[in-house]
Amino acid sequence: MNSDANKTIFSSYNKNVQLFDEVFDSNGVAKNVYQKLLELYGNHSIQDYVQLNNKAKASFFNQGITFQVYDNKMTQEKIFPFDLFPRIIDEGEWEIIEKGAIQRSKALNLFLWDIYHDKKIIKDGIVPLDLISSSANYLHQMIGVDPPGGIYNHISGTDIIKHSDGNYYVLEDNIRCPSGVSYVICNRTALKRALFGVFNHYKTHSVTNYAENLLEILESVKPKGVDIPNCVVLTPGMHNSAFYEHSYLAKAMGVELVEGRDLFVENDFVYMKTIRGPIKVDVIYRRVDDLFIDPLEFKPESALGVPGLFAAYRKGNICLANAPGTGVADDKAIYTYMPQIIKYYLDETPILNNVHTYHCSRPDELNYVLEHIHELVIKPVDEAGGYGISIGNRLTKNEIKVVQQEIKQNPRKYIAQPIMSLSVHPTYIDDSESFEQRHIDLRTFTLLGNEKEFVLKGGLSRVALKRGNLIVNSSQGGGSKDTWVLKK
Amino acid sequence: MLARVANNLFWMGRYIERAEHVARYLNVNYFSSLDAPNELSQSRQFVLRSMMFLVGEPIGDDSIELKEEDILYNIGLNPLQPYSVINNVKSARENANSARDLISTELYESINKFYHFVINYSVADFTKKGLYDFTVNVTEMTAILRGKIRGTLLHDEVYAIIMLGINLERATQVIRIINAKYNDAVKAKGSYGDQIGHSFEWITLLKCVESYDMMRRYYKKTPTSISTLEFLILNPDCPRSVINSINQVHKHIRVLDESKTPNKNSTAFLISKVKGEYDYKFAEEIEEDIQGFIEKILNNLVQISLKMENEFFNY
Amino acid sequence: MSFEYSITYIADNEYENPVENASWQFLIVPENNDTQELIRVDINNSLGVKNEFSENGYGFRTIRINTQENFQKLNFKATFILKKINHNPFREVPVFNIPSNYELVQSLGFRVDFEPFLGQSKFTTLPQSSNNLFVLDPTQSIFDNLQKLNLWVYRFIKFTTGVTHVNTLLDEIIENPKGVCQDFTHLFCALARSNRIPARYVSGYLHQGNGYFGDSQMHAWAEAYVPQMGWVGFDPTNNLLADDNHIKVAHGKDFNDCSPLKGVVYSRGANKTSHSVEVRSQQ
Repeated sequence: MNSDANKTIFSSYNKNVQLFDEVFDSNGVAKNVYQKLLELYGNHSIQDYVQLNNKAKASFFNQGITFQVYDNKMTQEKIFPFDLFPRIIDEGEWEIIEKGAIQRSKALNLFLWDIYHDKKIIKDGIVPLDLISSSANYLHQMIGVDPPGGIYNHISGTDIIKHSDGNYYVLEDNIRCPSGVSYVICNRTALKRALFGVFNHYKTHSVTNYAENLLEILESVKPKGVDIPNCVVLTPGMHNSAFYEHSYLAKAMGVELVEGRDLFVENDFVYMKTIRGPIKVDVIYRRVDDLFIDPLEFKPESALGVPGLFAAYRKGNICLANAPGTGVADDKAIYTYMPQIIKYYLDETPILNNVHTYHCSRPDELNYVLEHIHELVIKPVDEAGGYGISIGNRLTKNEIKVVQQEIKQNPRKYIAQPIMSLSVHPTYIDDSESFEQRHIDLRTFTLLGNEKEFVLKGGLSRVALKRGNLIVNSSQGGGSKDTWVLKK
Repeated sequence: MLARVANNLFWMGRYIERAEHVARYLNVNYFSSLDAPNELSQSRQFVLRSMMFLVGEPIGDDSIELKEEDILYNIGLNPLQPYSVINNVKSARENANSARDLISTELYESINKFYHFVINYSVADFTKKGLYDFTVNVTEMTAILRGKIRGTLLHDEVYAIIMLGINLERATQVIRIINAKYNDAVKAKGSYGDQIGHSFEWITLLKCVESYDMMRRYYKKTPTSISTLEFLILNPDCPRSVINSINQVHKHIRVLDESKTPNKNSTAFLISKVKGEYDYKFAEEIEEDIQGFIEKILNNLVQISLKMENEFFNY
Repeated sequence: MSFEYSITYIADNEYENPVENASWQFLIVPENNDTQELIRVDINNSLGVKNEFSENGYGFRTIRINTQENFQKLNFKATFILKKINHNPFREVPVFNIPSNYELVQSLGFRVDFEPFLGQSKFTTLPQSSNNLFVLDPTQSIFDNLQKLNLWVYRFIKFTTGVTHVNTLLDEIIENPKGVCQDFTHLFCALARSNRIPARYVSGYLHQGNGYFGDSQMHAWAEAYVPQMGWVGFDPTNNLLADDNHIKVAHGKDFNDCSPLKGVVYSRGANKTSHSVEVRSQQ
């Protein structure tokens, strides 16, 4: 090691004042909640830190908390990059996030009920009919179906950012099969192991109560006539990239982790095949997409589903969480109507801000977008995982032309938003062996049940590890941080 | 428990046990042959053929010259050979993955480390200088796994099914090793004027199943064919003996089938029947027709496994 | 006045290699409605497994069979006895208030309520250039216009078997207008919808006593929503309104929602399926 070894870990932290730093204010002074943390981290040399970091990585790897990457026909196991410097959210800010997340979940649930029943919000002209009729995720089979307990989006993942104005904005609501919650818990475990001396200086909310709350939520939406429901987690199988999470959740809830082939339907009831014969299943937390759950009703080639499952669901003999057809509401075009949706169903003003959105389906807005691509983010409305996103100020002239063409060909498919400046957080970068500013967001996890709701006090702070990159999804090379929500 | 997952646990147990025996067979045969008392037992070709015999690919043609590096690679680290240690470990982990929610974090972590150790082992190192290191590590890691299975799992159905897999596989591997070494002893017969009953191969055999020290303590004499067979097949106190494994299988099946008088078509009934037969066997009887005995008991073990699959793992 | 039909549906499936695990869903049971009443159902399958009654995603009755036994052949036979009430659609035609009918179909509430049957589904998507193939005459009633559409489709496509198959899209039909009842119905639905008239695909049985087109298979026709009348059946393959000879099983956006047999079969190799349908009147 060279002479750097004795430098403290923040001595070479470069602050770009253009960016909103969550830890340091514009004068370079650490914010209150972080002062103690910086002092404690300051006791470590870079060398110490490198060691701790490597140990934490090895621990993830040995525990098999990995995802698979396909590269050159080889399958490689990789850990989800993890940063040991936590993000802290104080109790005041958290209260806003929590209330805002619940408000959105409830509004979305009412919205889903409405568009699968009376469709009043469309008839009243608040949301255009076209957004539903042209959505691939609007399932006609769900029209008139009453999900047990009246709940559609039992589990929602809301992605929130802090903009350079210091306010939180929602980027999107994920209400199909939002993933990532297992990383929240793993990050906490890894951080506690590595830096236990730091942890006890803060009063931080626990995150390990997620599974018990999830189980309570699932049990609260049991089908009619069931006394003690048998809940299971349905996974596409061990080759799915989120398999670790599926197995973690099943284990933490103490329920079976099933694959489609473990289940069968008889007389519209669902059973699992056990060593002692069939046992009835009442609630399925399914991590299989809508179109794959039942080959007799949806994609016939799906080997992940259960023939007859949807018929059992329509009969009310099984509860699926999330309900089929929720995808229509996490369409990014619906997102832009969230303020109106909240107002319509709850008669409240949104607690969390929406990012202003231009709809390419509206001719005047389309023209604006086509002319201002360089200062906008263009997103396809129906893709998840950060795919298909174009960030205007990163595009060459030719690339802008290509994007313009694509939008013109299918305006309904795109929305555009101003380029938001995500806040930055000090993140340890392996290559430079130092802390650097990196953009972060926050995925929160909200549960909605029959007369029960829960927001995980914490969340996944995702980090865009490439310098200047704004896309934080793990599929795009993002990492994550432990997120501390402080107690009052 | 799900039938599919029970099947995964059963096979996880079997693959762990199989990896261990194959690895130890490589180690013991290779290193004890180096200073074996007769020329044939020292011969590379003889040892390599014995290894191939064990993994079920006997080389009949004596004129074929086997290459040491190839054989060691095939049995140790060749991912394309179904019998290789690396494949057994891969399969063990794959089965563990499917049952991950049912096994302890500690056990999973150990299996995972084991897997990464094996798949990252350098092939060049292994075939040139790493045979000892690799095989010792494999056998030690499997010992850790046995400890984690015993110490970090609730002794319920999950445990019973893993133990059924481990013990059925152990009985099978011990029999296969006896078969391989018996075959070696027959070949080595007379090469230094000794009888098959006092062959050097019996010591190797005992070492292959870590039973040499126990055997010496029990008989206080140099092993003979009769005493070795008696010890490895019929001594219920020897933890590697066939009868000990069958007793374990008998004990663990009762967790899955609690009926007092098992149905005559059940796995529990078949296990009791097999156990009854070996409870009253004696070594001389076995030695009379050792080939016939080996075939019969392997067949018994296969039948038990098949019956289990039909009764409990059918999905 | 009413009379009885006896309907026999037979499906034979043969597989090159043994099947280990299979589920089938038959959508072949006549529905009960104002003009028909199911009296008896007899079902047999050669596997001797249970025939379970259930419903598809749109509430129509299905028969499902599951098996885990090895087999290579499945014979399935269903017989239905059905009472049909005599009705003549022309007798029910009201005096139309034409302007208000058109106003209604343009209204948001109407378009929301009938949204599933106004959109373009996989099999009812017209090539861009063909949206104006048939345009309604606003001076005439919707009912009259739809009858003209019925005739138009009847004349446009030449009834030919063996040219199209269950996955044929309208692009091919427009280019080479030959096909069977399924293609007639898809084209009718597509053109009705492009004129903002809700239309749905109907599958069922046709009594062929009168020499109508539609061989010994299940038949398909369309239902369109006519203000003041409700859903009215149009059979463009025969240029008829659906009547006593049309026995409805199910409806949906297109064939996808009404496929009489869906199966999930775990087997390798080829398979042969043959269906046959016989409808007899028992007056």
